[in-house]
Amino acid sequence: MDQHDRELDELLASYRSAVPDPDPSANFMPELWRKIEARQSLMLRVRKLTQVFVGAAAAVSLLFAMIEVVPRTSRQDLSQQEMAHESYVDALAAAHPADNLAALGIVPHDSSDSRKK
Amino acid sequence: MLVEFEQIEKAQHGDDAAFNQVVIAYRKRILGTIARLIGRPEDVEDVAQEVFLRLYYSLDQLRTPEVFEPWLYRLTVNASYDYLRKQRRRSESRMSDLSEQQVMMADAAAGGKISGEEQRQKQVKELVESLLAGVSEQDRILLTLKEVEGLSLKELEKIYKVNENALKVRLFRARQRVLNAFEASSKESRRKD
Repeated sequence: MDQHDRELDELLASYRSAVPDPDPSANFMPELWRKIEARQSLMLRVRKLTQVFVGAAAAVSLLFAMIEVVPRTSRQDLSQQEMAHESYVDALAAAHPADNLAALGIVPHDSSDSRKK
Repeated sequence: MLVEFEQIEKAQHGDDAAFNQVVIAYRKRILGTIARLIGRPEDVEDVAQEVFLRLYYSLDQLRTPEVFEPWLYRLTVNASYDYLRKQRRRSESRMSDLSEQQVMMADAAAGGKISGEEQRQKQVKELVESLLAGVSEQDRILLTLKEVEGLSLKELEKIYKVNENALKVRLFRARQRVLNAFEASSKESRRKD
């Protein structure tokens, strides 16, 4: 076992000399810088695309917000205007339609009068 | 350190000329380490360029220039590991898949051009690579860094960010596996003789 251990140590040590440090080719640095620039331009493109996407998303969100807010306020304005003109009885009648009252067994005053007639 | 700390700091701050100097200082050493880690000479430059590419884009994350070398080794280990993992997927070993050097060696041996020393080195290379093929990519890299590159446990600790005892256990197990394979191959070659 010890002998094999020693032999393995020698073998691994001689592997280093069997595979020496290779000399870089003349193309090593130009190719490296080409790869760096290619990655840089890709990152720039991704960044630009992200900015466009974020801008578009913000614009769409703003549009939806406007659609959501503007009609609601105009509806609220309209109902507030109506409420300013109608009387308490009108408002009560609007809140309790005749059908609902009939379902509860409450007969509107006008209808019983008309039956008598 | 093969370069001044100042050079690394300049490269960290985006000085491309300083980065160029750092690459020139370390490329031969890194090429050698990768050659022994992956065992395919024709892909060594590609993997080394990937290491320096990763270095270029991660240099700003380096806390101090003192830890530059373990950092560079870490990038080398990761790029070599990624390469070996990809290679395992393409595991079919046909003649077309043999490295250029292996083909050249085979041709030269067939033509009787290969010298005795080259023949011995070729045998060492083939034997070590076949032994290392029996362990996982991680163990192959760890064992090569320790036994072939001669890195200390302290240096490995900095590269792997794992405590020394865990590394010792892992190294012992990997070495045992390689040793068993080595014993088996020794017995086999003795039987043939």
